[in-house]
Amino acid sequence: MSAAEAVRVTAPERHDILSWITTTDHKRIGVLYMATTLLFMAVAGLLAMAIRTQLARPDGTVLDSHAYNQIFTLHGTAMIFLVIAPFALGLANYVIPLQIGAPDMAFPRLNATSYWMFLFGGLVVFAGAATNEGAASAGWTAYAPLSEITISTGLGQDFWIVGVAMVSVASIMTALNFVTTTFIFRAPGMTMWRIPIFTWEMVATSLLIFMAFPSLTATLLLLFVDRRLGGHVFDPAFGGSPILYQHLFWFFGHPEVYVLILPYFGVVSEVISTFTGRPLFGYTGMVLSAFAIAGLSMGVWAHHMFTTGAVNNPFFSFVSFLIAVPTGIKFFNWICTMWGGSIRYTAAMLYALGFLMNFLLGGVTGVMVASPPLDFHAQDSYFVVAHFHYTIGGGSFFALFAAIYYWWPKVFGWRLDERLGKINFWLTLAGFNLTFLPMFFMGVFGMPRRIYTYANAGALPLLNAIATAGAYLMLVAAVAFVANVVVSARRREPAGDNPWHGYTLEWATSSPPPEHNFHRLPPIRSARPLWDVEHPKKAKAS
Amino acid sequence: MAEDWRIFAYGALAVALLVWGLILYAAVRFRQTERNAEPRSQKDTNTPLEVAWTVAPLLLVIALFVLTAHIETDVEALAAAPPVEIAVDGYRWGWTFAYRDGPTVRGTAANPPEMVLPIGEVASIRVTSSDVVHSFWIPDMLFKRDAVPGQVSAFDLTPSKEGTFLGRCGEFCGLNHALMTFRVRVVAPAAYERWRKYEATQ
Repeated sequence: MSAAEAVRVTAPERHDILSWITTTDHKRIGVLYMATTLLFMAVAGLLAMAIRTQLARPDGTVLDSHAYNQIFTLHGTAMIFLVIAPFALGLANYVIPLQIGAPDMAFPRLNATSYWMFLFGGLVVFAGAATNEGAASAGWTAYAPLSEITISTGLGQDFWIVGVAMVSVASIMTALNFVTTTFIFRAPGMTMWRIPIFTWEMVATSLLIFMAFPSLTATLLLLFVDRRLGGHVFDPAFGGSPILYQHLFWFFGHPEVYVLILPYFGVVSEVISTFTGRPLFGYTGMVLSAFAIAGLSMGVWAHHMFTTGAVNNPFFSFVSFLIAVPTGIKFFNWICTMWGGSIRYTAAMLYALGFLMNFLLGGVTGVMVASPPLDFHAQDSYFVVAHFHYTIGGGSFFALFAAIYYWWPKVFGWRLDERLGKINFWLTLAGFNLTFLPMFFMGVFGMPRRIYTYANAGALPLLNAIATAGAYLMLVAAVAFVANVVVSARRREPAGDNPWHGYTLEWATSSPPPEHNFHRLPPIRSARPLWDVEHPKKAKAS
Repeated sequence: MAEDWRIFAYGALAVALLVWGLILYAAVRFRQTERNAEPRSQKDTNTPLEVAWTVAPLLLVIALFVLTAHIETDVEALAAAPPVEIAVDGYRWGWTFAYRDGPTVRGTAANPPEMVLPIGEVASIRVTSSDVVHSFWIPDMLFKRDAVPGQVSAFDLTPSKEGTFLGRCGEFCGLNHALMTFRVRVVAPAAYERWRKYEATQ
């Protein structure tokens, strides 16, 4: 027994509320992060139900325009800033130190600060709804001059600015922690080219956060100065520029969409590899393509501005097309990982497969809107709404659930029910596609995004009715998930250390892991230390 | 541009079908069964294959870019002396269409304005905004251009079909964004001239 172990034994873990509030344990912070994002997801999901209920029929009367605008603004803001991105941060908080054999994050107190700042940032955004004129209603993009004080007079917009800025700063601090931890806290033997793919994807994500989020923070600060201190930065009447706002915002905004997807590429890679019983195919290519995507994504921001007539469309179009290449590499590698495997269809694997099928459609339609002549029609239409829901919803959201089903037993020590998990998956898959597939056609037929009502003409009423039916099916799927958690929590079927035959280090420790993660580490001689332990003769000598 | 849409949509569908096919084939073929209880291979690299699936998509997107650049150059070309010139101003919530040597048409969300254009003739549209960012969008013509305050953005439109088309604001602009519509009526050149002279005397 080592000295460190002896110390741990004398300090038993506490489980009261105060211990959760004061915790600096990366695993507890990870759990807090993920639980918080799931609560925000429930709220943002219900807001989406309100949107679909209003649009179920033409000339809908469920919501008026002002309520509708607040709801879609909060839905987008929450899903992007408070759900999809921070869930990945929470998951990485939990998984990165385990995957690289570290006892905790490099800066545990900074880590706790990040979480609490994120939580209160999110609450501030929502608290805007309690002000006189309601929550922010200028969309998640908050384009100036629409978001300026002359037009958006309410305090809700200021709450939105402050809340999102808090989340932004929290994300930067977390990214700092991830990169430092991964670079200097690795266990002996965990060389750079043995780092598990999820951790690599999080390093690429963190670098993107470093580059993009300061631009967001600055944009929000400038907008606040405009609104409350008479800045006129984005006011053309005083020599300011609305186009400048768009440049600054999208300089953050496009890297952001890769912040929303790279972590989930990592999740899917881990899940597919584990459940096919094979190493990740093209590991080197997978790591390099993550950085290629991150690098290219810094040079595509103005493809959100093709229709402004103010940017160099061919340049931004070409760089946008190029992103299809490293993304394609990932797809082919996932297929080759499955090839020659023995695939076990657990709920996690089904969600990963759902990710591949959905995200592909988001990807190829992304190439379409990267072509300016097409974008001149598709921009700000439901075509774009469908496209980005296939990437963030059909992609990230599906992988998020793959991650929940995959790592749940490690976090809690008991499993989720597989049968209910599969029901959960098939309902989500059907509901998702029923909701968003019709939206491509709505867009082509000329339905703009962010409209609270539409006329009873053409195909739009039928398409919208189908989309709303799909949304309610997803609500049923969400109920199936909650039911799964409740039922499984009662049953508490023990998971064991390594329920899926995973290969990475998090499966080498107990479920849940002890406070400082490992009592003993296996030797690390490849990217799959546990496989090497199981197959001592075949283990690579690299 | 409808041609461009067709090429890209069918191309995207073809690529998607190919990759979906590969995914589903692998997913079914390599599922765990009694006869396929263990993975049959632990091989995790194949350099020629990896180079191929890097280079082939690269060539494909270069081809798509060349196609795009050609079409975009046509779409964005501006005529030297357009016979029709209209200054479009978007505001919350309506549009003003000011014709050079012609009438100024103004309309609101409650009473949308109509833009009359002669068929087959180049109309130069110069878009700006009086308050927030709007977007001048005619879905049937597959085109929009943002109306940005403090900036005038020009494009040419050459209508090829007679009839009345719905136009609308494409960029979210607040409460009545959904109602900020207009109509585009494309008529024969002679009818256009009659309309222009009649309106100018009103």
